[in-house]
Amino acid sequence: MKLLKLISWQYVRKHLLRTVLTMAGIVLGVAVFVGMHTANQSVLSAFTKTVDRIAGATQLQITAGESGFDEEVLERVQALPNVRVAVPVIEAVVNLNLKSQGNILVLAVDMTGDRGLRDYDLEAGDDTVIEDPLVFIAQPDSLMVTREFATANGLVSNSKITLAAMDGPRTFTVRGIMKSSGLTSAFGGNLAIMDIYAAQKVFGRGRKFDRIDLAATEGTALPELQRQLSAMLGAGFEVESPSARGKQFEALSSVYGMLANITSLFALFIGMFIIYNSFAIAVTQRRSEIGIVRALGATRGQIQALFLTESAILGLIGASFGVLFGLLIASGISASLGNFLGEIYGVAQRAAEVSSDPRLLLGALLMGVVTSVIAAWIPARAAAGVDPVQALQKGRYQQLTKGENRLRRQIASALFVIVFFCLFFAQNRIIFYSGYFLTVIAGLLLVPTVALWLSKAIRPAMKFLRPVEGTLAADSLIQSPRRTSGAVSALALSIALVISLGGMARASYNSINEWMRIALNPDMFLTATQNITDRSFRFPASFGDEIRSIPGIRRMQLVRNARLLYKGNPVMVVSVEIDKLAAESFLPSVAGDSATMYRLAAEGKGFLISDNFAQLYGVKYNELLSINTPNGTLTLPVAGIVRDYSDQKGTVLIDRKMFIRYWNDDTINIVRLYLEKNITVPEMRARIEEKLAGKTRLFILTNQDLKSYIIKITDQWFGLTYIQLAVAVLVAILGIINTLTVSITDRRRELGVLQAVGALRGQVRRTIWLEAIAIGIIGLAIGLAFGCVALYYSLEMAARDISGLRLDYTYPWSMAAGLFPVIVGAALIAALGPAEQAVRGNLVEALEYE
Amino acid sequence: MISLSSVSKRFDGKRQVIALDAVDLQIDRGEMVSLVGPSGSGKSTLLNLIGGLDRPSEGDIRIDGTLLRGINDDELTRIRRDKIGFIFQFFNLLPTLSCLENVALPLHLRGWPAAKINDRSRELLSLVKLDNRLEHLPEELSGGERQRVAIARALSVYPPILLADEPTGNLDSNTGAEILALIRELHSRLRATVLIVTHDREVAESCPRQIALKDGRVVMDQRR
Ligand SMILES: Nc1ncnc2c1ncn2[C@@H]1O[C@H](COP(=O)(O)OP(=O)(O)OP(=O)(O)O)[C@@H](O)[C@H]1O
Ligand SMILES: [Mg+2]
Repeated sequence: MKLLKLISWQYVRKHLLRTVLTMAGIVLGVAVFVGMHTANQSVLSAFTKTVDRIAGATQLQITAGESGFDEEVLERVQALPNVRVAVPVIEAVVNLNLKSQGNILVLAVDMTGDRGLRDYDLEAGDDTVIEDPLVFIAQPDSLMVTREFATANGLVSNSKITLAAMDGPRTFTVRGIMKSSGLTSAFGGNLAIMDIYAAQKVFGRGRKFDRIDLAATEGTALPELQRQLSAMLGAGFEVESPSARGKQFEALSSVYGMLANITSLFALFIGMFIIYNSFAIAVTQRRSEIGIVRALGATRGQIQALFLTESAILGLIGASFGVLFGLLIASGISASLGNFLGEIYGVAQRAAEVSSDPRLLLGALLMGVVTSVIAAWIPARAAAGVDPVQALQKGRYQQLTKGENRLRRQIASALFVIVFFCLFFAQNRIIFYSGYFLTVIAGLLLVPTVALWLSKAIRPAMKFLRPVEGTLAADSLIQSPRRTSGAVSALALSIALVISLGGMARASYNSINEWMRIALNPDMFLTATQNITDRSFRFPASFGDEIRSIPGIRRMQLVRNARLLYKGNPVMVVSVEIDKLAAESFLPSVAGDSATMYRLAAEGKGFLISDNFAQLYGVKYNELLSINTPNGTLTLPVAGIVRDYSDQKGTVLIDRKMFIRYWNDDTINIVRLYLEKNITVPEMRARIEEKLAGKTRLFILTNQDLKSYIIKITDQWFGLTYIQLAVAVLVAILGIINTLTVSITDRRRELGVLQAVGALRGQVRRTIWLEAIAIGIIGLAIGLAFGCVALYYSLEMAARDISGLRLDYTYPWSMAAGLFPVIVGAALIAALGPAEQAVRGNLVEALEYE
Repeated sequence: MISLSSVSKRFDGKRQVIALDAVDLQIDRGEMVSLVGPSGSGKSTLLNLIGGLDRPSEGDIRIDGTLLRGINDDELTRIRRDKIGFIFQFFNLLPTLSCLENVALPLHLRGWPAAKINDRSRELLSLVKLDNRLEHLPEELSGGERQRVAIARALSVYPPILLADEPTGNLDSNTGAEILALIRELHSRLRATVLIVTHDREVAESCPRQIALKDGRVVMDQRR
């Protein structure tokens, strides 16, 4: 400890800026990790909190996916002797277009029984309602809202709210305002209670419920009751405790969590390089100091411990700042994440507050420390290996020896051979990922050699550009490959990340455009919700007939989507009139003959599944696939696998007849319309509006509207991944700054000499700038090459484990070209500070500097 | 050529040090002067001020009639590179550059054309008898050879003033004598004004003029 204070602290103080820069990688990595995961957790915990608060005294909940189930199920459940109360629920998130922006959660219940589970404490409202809640049901236009919501929107008792319902606009009357309590804080306070039979009409649910909430009689064993209910209802029903619902939500945001992990891992990995670099340099710079301490009696172990402790402290401080920043950015991220999940999966969620898990924070701290210690391991060993006698002789810094370089090259070649073989056995997941990992390691091992080689290659060009400055800058790089390769590796890694993500984005846009061209070819789409992924409002089956009667429609396809559980995964079931679909276009087939598979599916003799469904759940062509429905398990062969990008969790296409039969659900989400040649889209819109205006809730989208909406969502998704890019580039720039700062301290004397023999300040500055640009260009060159490989692996990874979507490999050349000015510019900016520092210093001191 | 009037230099650290205390000095063109004094007496400080590496706390310094006070860093650098050659105790060669490139460095900094630079650097290296070491790196040379390269570099623009801070301090006595002989020869050949800081009594006494410092003041100034 004494040593630490005497030696390390002095050094750190002298190189404060550098120490801060060294930590920056850790700070960023940890911040991203904490920020993104905290946001994720906040949204998740807001969800569970809502579920929990709404659950009240509910012990078990019965659901059948999103499709809901018939009313008679309730009677069967209520008839069980162990069930004390069982009440029906419909839940929907709606946009009320009120003053306070955002959505409101409508909880529709049967007031008669519901108070057995939930307390509705009214503080204001109709006197009769307060006295007897049954009055509430007697008037189907009743609404109860929370105190918070009422205040925010200026609502009082008997205020009217108009809602675009499925059977036309309906006016509701606020008959009760609930006291603040556990229940009212659900969904951030934006909660309204409605009568369930009114809700069936408002949302077009037919005579169905979303859920049954129940509580058992005193002394009943819940697991036993749960088993009993499952057995009675069949596999199509889920009987779970309310808390289990969080899991489904978690599954939806898992892709995002994975992204968060990748980003922070990358930042930490790059940060590790910066730390390794800094420590390696510190060890060479402090050689004589280490020699003296060793000569005075410190053991090797003590020296190693000294450096490792130093790195651990550095890591801890960096990670602490990271945690702090992470928490700061979390609220911003959670807002956009909640929004995003709502748009992509149709599960709206409001995270009112950021909630952080102490275990996560502790883990993040640990991660920072471990990263830092690992990074400092090799330098610390080198420090322990310093020979006191040699170190005390005045000598130049030890350099990367030729032997060391050769060894690196040999290991790298050996690794490449292994990687090559890994490609043959890439089916195996472990081998595949090992291959990726080894490629990265091999590439990194080669960086010093290639960087040196490239530095030598660009020396003539730099000399030509600026005889003095160019030569000096290039020589500085050639002279210290170790110093250079740290920054170059960090930069190359982040450029590889940029290329692989950019390439992936590019490929995704290409594929999505192609898919939209085929799959979204109708001229118009009719929906009951503003957002096509939201399914809270649904058209009745009769809606189809009404539309059909409008002249000018060449073809109409009725679609009903529902998210259901397949082996615990929330997948998308799309029911559509497959014969009519086939008449317009076939989705590109991955396995099976298009005409045959569509015919089989239309006859109800098979499923069509998307290729990502097949990938994610390992389902093969022609295999039997079982899907649980409220009317028992539906088992059919996979008639074909098609390319479809409509859902990240995988899609199953079945014929509408089958869906109606097995789910007893003939409602409609989307109507796809193809027009006759002689009618235009605006004309058709006018006809539809004329016929249906005021009669039903309806949103009309043109082909273009829908496509731009999908592109918007895709943009949002990649917007999230672009955060990764920004982080990566930022860390890499920090690496350059760090290297340059080290470089000018290393060369302080040299730069002093330069000025002593007549270099103007501008000339010194240009030397540093050129050095930075050279690092930038070398890093870029290596990074673009790495990117080739990284893109391949990213696409594979996305296809295998993230979304199951297979994308074509296209190297993003234009992006690579665009990176050139960005990196050169960034390098130049990174050089500004160090260059100023180089010319500011005291010349006399610089000349005496050792 | 060099004139100092009541030049003082203070270092304001935790304890204030007066390195030079109102020094008046006049050195004419073509003189060869040795500067002696105990360690810490201010010799290096004086040399650094004359060479424009540092600025005085008080007093005026003129080089070739130009007042150094009030000019900016770049102008100071220009004066230094046109008028002054430096020789350091630790050579201060750039380790990555060959002998030829080291000597050529100041000329490049002045933006000379390549051919002229090449001629001049070779000429100077042969002057210091290193024709056969043109492409060697400094680390491949002996201490004496390195110092000769440093001298060649200091002379590359034929500066009217040559400042040497213990040029032989890091060399054995034989090599030191050779270097000194070389400096003396160059002095007579190039007619430069030479100022040498030295601890070597013989070296000091062999110079036509000898100045001694103590505690930042001139305590002796004698010509032979
Ligand atoms: N950068 C500085 N900061 C503070 N004090 C300094 C600094 N440089 C020199 N000094 C002080 O100024 C005084 C003169 O130093 P200088 O280097 O000129 O001595 P010197 O005569 O060259 O000695 P030596 O023969 O040992 O080289 C010394 O007392 C020294 O401590
Ligand atoms: Mg001195």
